[in-house]
Amino acid sequence: MKIWSSSRWKKPAQGALLASTFVLGGCVTVPYADDVRDVRSTLGSRWAPELPVPALTGEAPRGEDVDTVVKELLSQPLTADAAVRIALLNNRDLRAAMHELGIATGNVVQASLPPIPEVGLEVTKPAGSTKVQTGLGLEYNLSDLILLPQRRGVALAERASEQARTASEVLGLAYRTRLAFYEVQARRQQLELRNLALRNAQARYGTAVELEKVGNLRALDLATERSAVEAARLAVAEADNALQDAREDLNVELGLFGADTQWTVDALLADPSDALSKQEGLEARAIEVSLDLSELRGRMEAADRRNQLARTEGFLPTLSGGVHGEREDDRWEMGASLRVGVPLFDRKRGERIATLSSRESLKARYEATATAIRASLRQARFRVESTASRAMHVRDVLLPATRKALEETVLQYNAMQLGVFDLLRAQDNVTNAASTYVDTLLEHHRARAALEQLLAGRHQGVELAPTRISSAASGSAPAADAH
Amino acid sequence: MDRREFMQFGALAGGTLLAGQALAQTPSNLAPAVRARAEKPRIVAPGGQVAVVTPNGSTLPWKNVGGVKVGHLVAMPVRHTFAPGLEVEAWGYNGSTPGPTIEAVEGDRIRIYVTNRLPEPTTVHWHGLILPNGMDGVSGLNQRPIAPGETFAYEFTLNRAGTYMYHPHYDEMTQMALGMMGMLIVHPKRSRGPRVDRDFALMTHEWKVLPGMRRPDPNAMSDFNVLTFNSKAFPATAPLVIGRGERVRIRLGNLSAMDHHPIHLHGLYFEVTGTDGGFVPESARYPETSVLVPVGSTRVIEFVADEPGDWAMHCHMTHHVMNQMGHAAPVTVGANARNIDKQVQALVPQYMTMGQDGMGGMEEMGMPVPPNSIPMKGGKGPFGSIDMGGMFTVLKVRENPEAEDGSGWYVHPKGTVADKADPAKLAADGIDPDVRFG
Repeated sequence: MKIWSSSRWKKPAQGALLASTFVLGGCVTVPYADDVRDVRSTLGSRWAPELPVPALTGEAPRGEDVDTVVKELLSQPLTADAAVRIALLNNRDLRAAMHELGIATGNVVQASLPPIPEVGLEVTKPAGSTKVQTGLGLEYNLSDLILLPQRRGVALAERASEQARTASEVLGLAYRTRLAFYEVQARRQQLELRNLALRNAQARYGTAVELEKVGNLRALDLATERSAVEAARLAVAEADNALQDAREDLNVELGLFGADTQWTVDALLADPSDALSKQEGLEARAIEVSLDLSELRGRMEAADRRNQLARTEGFLPTLSGGVHGEREDDRWEMGASLRVGVPLFDRKRGERIATLSSRESLKARYEATATAIRASLRQARFRVESTASRAMHVRDVLLPATRKALEETVLQYNAMQLGVFDLLRAQDNVTNAASTYVDTLLEHHRARAALEQLLAGRHQGVELAPTRISSAASGSAPAADAH
Repeated sequence: MDRREFMQFGALAGGTLLAGQALAQTPSNLAPAVRARAEKPRIVAPGGQVAVVTPNGSTLPWKNVGGVKVGHLVAMPVRHTFAPGLEVEAWGYNGSTPGPTIEAVEGDRIRIYVTNRLPEPTTVHWHGLILPNGMDGVSGLNQRPIAPGETFAYEFTLNRAGTYMYHPHYDEMTQMALGMMGMLIVHPKRSRGPRVDRDFALMTHEWKVLPGMRRPDPNAMSDFNVLTFNSKAFPATAPLVIGRGERVRIRLGNLSAMDHHPIHLHGLYFEVTGTDGGFVPESARYPETSVLVPVGSTRVIEFVADEPGDWAMHCHMTHHVMNQMGHAAPVTVGANARNIDKQVQALVPQYMTMGQDGMGGMEEMGMPVPPNSIPMKGGKGPFGSIDMGGMFTVLKVRENPEAEDGSGWYVHPKGTVADKADPAKLAADGIDPDVRFG
């Protein structure tokens, strides 16, 4: 297993930070572009090449340019990729996460600065003397200077951890956006199917009305068909509500409001892609690329370094040195001083206990996370294969079977063995099978996104919907006509 | 556009997969599979008694062995066609259902071997005959069942003339429902009454074969949807061709599971001259045009047909002159089909309401129906489709019956066919066709 090392980061970052210290002096700017570049670097090969990353290049258009790009993307029916692109450009939570990385960057800069020397000026006038004595002193905290590399090491480790967390947030946003987009697609299709089911119920009711008018149908049957229409109408309303909810969930990820929320989606949920080849070592790969684990390793490294720092502080006497000059009778007397603090009582034992405990806690959390990642990987992989298989079964077997049943029902209707109500129920079975297909496809795309997310390095936030166990009722043959 | 036009348009425009099946089942293709040419009757019994003709069927051949008539029945599965387009996996004897008609003369000693090639045991009961108890064929009561592969011998003397039947008495429900039955005719040693010129045997039966199925349903207690004469449904029933002025005997047997059949003849009246119990005394006979044939009974009718023509002969239960009739469809008579079609066709384009103006002429629509099924009614007639099916056949009374093969139609003398009324004659007779009542 590859262990995170700050050395990968140290040289360029250290150089840049020192340069900023001495060249820019007190001039402070937000290092957003550098942080973005670092996040992109962290994502590295995890970031699928086909995915848009304008917001992560550090050269992303800002302000009105962003709006132009977003509006252009919104002017066309959305695709999953376009949605992710918009989210990366426009999602404020992602920007906040980037700025949070800036906090860690600032901590590194601060930890890299040497202690400030203390200059003392003393002017005295001894009693009875007309002369003023002047004393000058320069004190420097040597122990802080000695500990500076260790403090900077702690800050660097913390920043590395934060960098991994931020990169993970990028993946999380893309993942959530894709899920939200799939949900919109599925809810839109389900709404169309529920509308079809409503038209079916209305056709049954309309037929019942015509038959009842001429004395061929019982009031009971008419009322039954009427209730079916109202139930179907309710299902349409529910499906519409679900679609609106899904759209708003996607709007949140896209960072959209107002008129920008009037985007459209034309594409249907894609058919299941080929089942994953039986690649071996996916678990190991997920562990290797895991940003969640990277973050934890960074935090463990930081805890280690804090422990080292505390130990050094515990054993290192407080040191400060200085030079002193005193002007008397027009001549200077020079001297030097060294002040040593004796660590008799406080040897940072408590801080070390805290950092060691933190380290052990993080280690245990690391192992638990690795176990969870492996389980999630296996679960997602099985779910991808299972849902692909089920979706293809619905598409290639169940749907044709219901269509065949409809065709046969037409023949039986022609032979007067079944009635128009049976015919419409058979058609409804086709609609229900299509609905099952949409549900299964959604589950498949969710699982696939989860698997890709795990293999890209993020485990946090990955979730699979509960497994559905459907009844076989939708495929049953129509019962004899009750009318 | 009516349903017929709609279906034609659909077949042309949509190229439905089922068009081929539809064409294969148009009424024009439902001509009778077997035509019974009226041969000169054979004399088979003393007194010039003619042989029995079993339309669509056959007669069991005998071997004479030492003065005993020896025959062989093989109980076996058979593939049977009720009418072109409807073939079933049935059971029967000697390859057919009903089995061959057994025909003998009063006093004959007969020995009939019964070989069982069914998947289960069977027996044969000689329905109506009085014979030694051990020959009566009731499994468990009179004999042990004939196991598959076994051959049993039945031997007895025919002491009483009459019209009888034979059928299994082991798992009767299944074996009879699948078609195991036949007629057994015993001519009197001395002919009784006027000599007949034609003698026909018709076994009535009912079956349940849902469209698309190939096995008659033995469990059915109702909803029988295939009604047959000699296991044939119109239009596959062979007509009965007779000569004008000939004396005709028709022997009707009923081994249906549940239904009696009131058989009605057009164009003549008859008298019931016998049952499976024997001959009806002349003093007890009365003229009829319909005879009820109860389940498990035979009825013999005799008549002289004076009026030439093609005369209907059928069960008068209207559902019994339908083929594979379904009754699950809602009644649409009087309904506004346009309103219904508009909504349903949006979901099922092949749909079109039918029956809103009544059910007549539906066989001509050529709608695709399930495989192995036939239109509910309809067979070719001289004036179009005959709007019946099932237990229906035609009695053809001809001047020269031997010249007929049953496929030709009666040629009516001019002015003897009902037709559209002449308006001038309507007016002359004071008939107002636009008269309103109520």
